[in-house]
Amino acid sequence: MSIIEVDRVTKRFRPRRSMRAMFGRGGLTEILRGGEGAHQTALDDVTFTVEPGDSLGIIGRNGSGKSTLLKVLAGVTLPSSGHVTVHGRVASLLELGAGFHPMLTGRENVYLNAGLLGVRHAQVEELFDRIVEFSGIGDFIEQPVDTYSSGMYVRIGFAVAAHCNPDIFLVDEVLSVGDEEFQGKCRQKIRELREQGKTIVFVSHDLSTVSALCDRVVLLEKGRMISRGSPKKTIDFYLRRIGRENGIHTMQEGRLESVFSHGRLSMYRDTDEVSGFSGFQAQVNCLGRWHNASEAQWEILERAENRCVARGTMMRLPLQYIWDMRLENGHLVWRVSLECERETAVEATEINLFLPEGYDRWHYGALAGRFPEILSSDITWMTVAPPSLECREVAALPRAGAALPPILATMATDNPQATLVWQNTDHVAGCRVLQVYAKAPEGQKTIAAGRHDLATLDVDFESGLDHIEARLKEAERRRTLRRGGLEARFHEGHIEIRHDGRLLTAAIHGYTSMLIGNLWADSPNLRWGAVEQTASSLRVSGESRRFPFRQDWEIAIEEGRVRLDIWLEALEALEVQEYHTSVLVVSDYIEWETEHERGEFPEFTAGVEDWVHANRNYAPGAWIVARGASVPALTLRSALDDVPFRMTAINAGHHQQARVLQALRTSEGSPLRFEPGRYHYFSGAVEVADA
Amino acid sequence: MNCPGAGVTIRRMNAVVYTDRDQRRVSRVVRDLIRSRELFVDLVWKELRIRYRYAVMGFLWAILEPVAMMVILTFVFTMVFADKAAAFRGGDTRPFAVVLLCGLVPWQFFATGLSKGVQSLVDNQNLIKKVHFAREIVPLASVSTCLVNFTIGFMLLVLVHVVLGGSIGVGLVWFPVVFAIEFVMVIGLVLLLSCLNVRYRDVGYIVGVAIVFGFYATPIFYTLDLVRHLGEAHPVLVRLYMLNPMALLIGAFRQVLFENRFPDVSLLIWPGVAAAACLAIGVVSFRRSGPLLSDYL
Repeated sequence: MSIIEVDRVTKRFRPRRSMRAMFGRGGLTEILRGGEGAHQTALDDVTFTVEPGDSLGIIGRNGSGKSTLLKVLAGVTLPSSGHVTVHGRVASLLELGAGFHPMLTGRENVYLNAGLLGVRHAQVEELFDRIVEFSGIGDFIEQPVDTYSSGMYVRIGFAVAAHCNPDIFLVDEVLSVGDEEFQGKCRQKIRELREQGKTIVFVSHDLSTVSALCDRVVLLEKGRMISRGSPKKTIDFYLRRIGRENGIHTMQEGRLESVFSHGRLSMYRDTDEVSGFSGFQAQVNCLGRWHNASEAQWEILERAENRCVARGTMMRLPLQYIWDMRLENGHLVWRVSLECERETAVEATEINLFLPEGYDRWHYGALAGRFPEILSSDITWMTVAPPSLECREVAALPRAGAALPPILATMATDNPQATLVWQNTDHVAGCRVLQVYAKAPEGQKTIAAGRHDLATLDVDFESGLDHIEARLKEAERRRTLRRGGLEARFHEGHIEIRHDGRLLTAAIHGYTSMLIGNLWADSPNLRWGAVEQTASSLRVSGESRRFPFRQDWEIAIEEGRVRLDIWLEALEALEVQEYHTSVLVVSDYIEWETEHERGEFPEFTAGVEDWVHANRNYAPGAWIVARGASVPALTLRSALDDVPFRMTAINAGHHQQARVLQALRTSEGSPLRFEPGRYHYFSGAVEVADA
Repeated sequence: MNCPGAGVTIRRMNAVVYTDRDQRRVSRVVRDLIRSRELFVDLVWKELRIRYRYAVMGFLWAILEPVAMMVILTFVFTMVFADKAAAFRGGDTRPFAVVLLCGLVPWQFFATGLSKGVQSLVDNQNLIKKVHFAREIVPLASVSTCLVNFTIGFMLLVLVHVVLGGSIGVGLVWFPVVFAIEFVMVIGLVLLLSCLNVRYRDVGYIVGVAIVFGFYATPIFYTLDLVRHLGEAHPVLVRLYMLNPMALLIGAFRQVLFENRFPDVSLLIWPGVAAAACLAIGVVSFRRSGPLLSDYL
């Protein structure tokens, strides 16, 4: 049995007559003829039922009939036609001050109010202390309520209604009058009432509260019920529908639809939401606190069918967000800029694209992987792919069967700090997040007045899986050299070497490192530029973030070997304690040999993560070779006759499970000094002998 | 159903159906009123608390008000217009103060009951907008509150009567009977006019003016006999005058008080019929517009 049945309810209001309407033209004759004048229809043929224990949210714009519907349910007014059946006792919180007499004290009003809700004096006495305590009114309870603020009215009103143990609880917008703390308390109480199996009908403009508290939502527009269903579905529908209001704009192009609403962007493709829980949003960290763009005051500067430019003025900060959003050819192009009135302390900025959990694979530059499952123990966010400043292109692929399109996103930015990051959120949010993170560089925590583009994201929703994979393959191809069975791939300061498709290198693969001021500057930590590819070679250069040097790498592939030429460009005078070029190979390599000696790599020992030298003889040499039964012999050979390298065999840590062939240049006592200029750092090859 | 959270047992669930026709059925008046009886008591209490709140002398005003009126009018008609008043009263030997008070107390009930009752729905709009209940109890409570003042006034009347040498007897029991007619009439009028006042606030002003007019068109500071004596000169006017039920009722009150007997039936028939008609019209019209009152508040 439904606890509330609303059956074809229509409510019309007659216009009130004033003197003018009565005696103005035609007014009086109309009254004499019994005419009714123009009706206003507040509710138009509304039908629904509410089951016991349900909580129903009613949303809609101002004047859409929400409050009238609630009044009809409360029996405060009657429908003009149709009927409403209500089983059980109703407590309502309709208008501010309803149920109060201003001349009575708070205490007397509690009794009166409870009496209106059908609770007798003896029962109120039992509840009185709890009501006063909940309301937080304190000693004001003995004061006449005409001295109360509107917030106090609501406090008392809610406290009484909630404690009168109604079967049905009707709450109108009035709650929003209360302060944040009290609203939280009310939400908590409403949740409690829900758990006790009470039926709740709730009108609010606060959509997040509605979606948190309601099982079902009804959307009214001009008195008609235009949608009903799950909170998410109805609220989405509503947000898209109210496009024309200030601060909100709906864009559409092809299969894509995008709703910008007060600093939050939601994406839809064929009416399925592609954005996650919190949509696409941005935030800025000033003086240690994050300020979300949704806290800003937004206005739409430009509206078009498929474009929207909006400005959000941050509260209490001299900052404005300017978002330029455009849908074209199945892409969302979104430029986020910050405009500062004056020099402003900004520590970091973030642009977050929340995506549903239905995306389960990520691509990040040339890397790819699966998103870890979000477990209930995940209480913090987690970065899923190692962030790289060079990565400009990422993709997310949906789980099979999910109604989500593959997404390919590219970032364009002038900000050298902007980094794309793939994240998993905590368990509650349960989303994948594509983040553009930019931290202010060390020692520069302010940004100047004027406009700063943070990033432009181009998110492609249409290209489809094959296209994305093809593009990513293409990007990978551009970094890969092949000759015969040999393959070398450069990736962010590593070189991976494959033979007949088998990966011979492991862990951090081939790389370089320099010890400067007791700190190792590894090549994977350099900031690498774009890879330049010729027929048989790759050229790429990387700049240190910490020290004044660059490395230019040239990788070439020849029959049976990968040639390496590395130059060091010292931008300032550089003192290096030692430097090396190393290749980490898989643990299948068992033996090593140099010009001076040979030996076997030891077993890995659990718990030992330090690198262990296998050499005894440290005389300079030109080559070192590693051999294994199932793998082709691999040689690291130096061609620089004027630079003495110590060829070293090392066992890497237990965790890495790799053997290291290293060409080490040591300084005997005093550091090696590089004056500004260009030096040959390493020249040689990694040779792979066909088995 | 017992709820651990609130500790209060609620009543059995009964379905309420809100349709345009159902709630307007006159036959449901009595049932609805019985259901709302507790709220009715609450409302009466509330009215009483409010009436003299913030007045330093509080309930004393319920006595002081009629006494002050009596003193003023007695002063005006026995001192200021001393010679005119003598002619006015002819051979009447009853003390003027008692005659006056005997008209004033019922009239005050009529006037305050009507004016407060007519405004009651507007004054209590906050309650009407809160939940569903039988709206009739709002004007009913408002009028009933005036019973307290009437009772105080009545005791004052008896006291003054005795002090000024009058005698009281068993016949005084007829006083409430006559008053019942007046009460029913006020209720009927208030039901009719209060909901009309919600739609057309003019009604409140018209009632105010009518009460001032009624004060002179009712034998309060003069007697009904005086009007009867004018009958030969202005027969039409007097007949119109006699259509005022309050005029007849005050004549009846005076007969009960001074002659200790059941009043002339001729004085009760017309007011009785008028009261019954008022009540019928009042109840029906209130039922028709009552459920929609909140639309106009």
